[in-house]
Amino acid sequence: MAAFLQILVNGVLFGSMYGVAAIGLSLIFGTMQIIFIAQGAMMILAAYITYWIFTLTSVDPFFCFVLIIPIFLGIGWIFYAGLFSRVAAAGKNPSLLLAFGLMILLENLMSLAWTANTRAVTTSYTGMGLAVGNIQISFTRAVVFLISLLATGLVFFFMKKTLWGKAVRAASENIKAAALLGISPRRVSGITFSIGIALAGIAGVATATTYPFDPYFGFVFSLKALIAVAFGGIGSVGGAMFGGILLGVIESVSAYTISGGWADAISYGAFLLVLMFRPQGIFGRSAAS
Amino acid sequence: MGEHNWKAICWGGFPLLGFLLVFPFLVDSEESYLVYFLFLTFIYVSMAQGWNLVAGYAGQASLGQHAFFGVGAYVTAIAWKAEWIGYLDPVGMLLSGLGAAVLAILIGIPLLAKLRGDYFALGTLGLGEILRVVFTQGGSLTGGPVGLMLPSSAYESMAPYYYIALAIALVTLLVLFLLLRSSVGLAFVAIREDEEAAGANGIFVLKYKILAFSVGAFFTGMCGSIFAYYLFHIHPSGVFSLNWALLPVLMTILGGIGTLMGPIIGAFVMSAVFEMANTWLPDIHPIFSGAFIILVMLFLPKGIMSLGSKGDQSPILRRLLPFKRAV
Repeated sequence: MAAFLQILVNGVLFGSMYGVAAIGLSLIFGTMQIIFIAQGAMMILAAYITYWIFTLTSVDPFFCFVLIIPIFLGIGWIFYAGLFSRVAAAGKNPSLLLAFGLMILLENLMSLAWTANTRAVTTSYTGMGLAVGNIQISFTRAVVFLISLLATGLVFFFMKKTLWGKAVRAASENIKAAALLGISPRRVSGITFSIGIALAGIAGVATATTYPFDPYFGFVFSLKALIAVAFGGIGSVGGAMFGGILLGVIESVSAYTISGGWADAISYGAFLLVLMFRPQGIFGRSAAS
Repeated sequence: MGEHNWKAICWGGFPLLGFLLVFPFLVDSEESYLVYFLFLTFIYVSMAQGWNLVAGYAGQASLGQHAFFGVGAYVTAIAWKAEWIGYLDPVGMLLSGLGAAVLAILIGIPLLAKLRGDYFALGTLGLGEILRVVFTQGGSLTGGPVGLMLPSSAYESMAPYYYIALAIALVTLLVLFLLLRSSVGLAFVAIREDEEAAGANGIFVLKYKILAFSVGAFFTGMCGSIFAYYLFHIHPSGVFSLNWALLPVLMTILGGIGTLMGPIIGAFVMSAVFEMANTWLPDIHPIFSGAFIILVMLFLPKGIMSLGSKGDQSPILRRLLPFKRAV
């Protein structure tokens, strides 16, 4: 029983990282209707930045959260204004492939700049764990989990309570109607994209502190984030986080009970089932396409 | 059909075809890198056309072509190992194609009936990944993660590979051409443009979607087969690699989706670009490839074929090319 709880806890903690990346993906998909496959690559970029800041200046990696957010908001805005806004008119396939090209470019630039060797951030508290009853909880993963919840809460607050958040929600439901009401689709897409990238940044800092990573780790992560979005439903912030946690738990349980090799297949199988029988996800409101 | 420039095809296409047919006799096919390059490119042409049929004509963008490629490769490998077929056996290749087509029908029925657009693309992606895991765990039948080793002593020359790949590419083109000229092609386009209207007009939408899906899968499976014959060692992460799903998509979109020549042009251009990058910038060629994709999407989102019609060009391109009538 304790072992099962341990697996559950591990799954939840790990899944929160999927969740943060998934929120970004869900937002971008909701407003721009594209699957931003480079989300994982952005995450790894943030992980590398964290790694180098820590290695070169010994600044605690958790402080990088504060640094990364404005940087990645800016990067998101630049990418949108420079690349995606220009391709938006051409349809979804070009946007999708643009994201794909961006992913390849970033992954290989990082590989060239920083080699393909796996990196990990090891601080004085990396190995620390807390014991709650019979369950071991890693300190870094617990902090990451809390930060993920905080990020989710902030985005949720932004979407529900601020004017721009409402504009984003309006645009993701019906961009033409929103435009008729005076909401600039460009502005809204740009904001959403920036937030999405910033969330990838947060997920990246989280990854750096808890797991070893390499430049090509991002693509698999993008796929997992996609699965999380499918579980939770497009257009729902809390849903995306829930989807991420659910995926983390599924992976954790499958890896333990069946075997590591099949865990992926089970995740994809669950993904397919959700797509076929509940495409709007568990919390989703709008069923796109 | 008016959309085909018959003059260009006769004066350009047939001489080119003739040249391609005699090319292996002009150079030493064992030493020549171009023969290998063309061999691969022909495979990409066929796979790109297969995807073009499903996505460009029937309107269902699939990201799971690698599943059919891998299954085709494994069918041939397993059949050869069990000595049901021989080396470069046409029966083997047909079996691979059929196996892939059957798979397409099996997964097409649930997926195409329930999923549209992005969800369908994601569903096919997921299925491809599931198949990769299944083959990795397959034990002694599929050789597990190490895969299957085939008797490489059977290799004699590069020339048969070249011609078989060329034949597959040509047959794919021919089948697409005939299919699209027929009422099936009309049904495809109707479904692509407005699925509900097509259904309301009495077209059995699911049947045609599955038809497009399985024909595309058939040729992709045959490509997997010839690739297995070439590589002599197939393993899941190699033949189920997502590259086999994504590169044909890229090539088709670069060349011009929904056109017959588009995938061919796209395959040749992309292969050439990647190979040149690999040769001249070996360390950073993926960076170059990524940048190339980005540039293409910015300036030629509707593909190279769109250079012919001004209305299809991207705004950036139109501003850069101030001529009244496009090339």
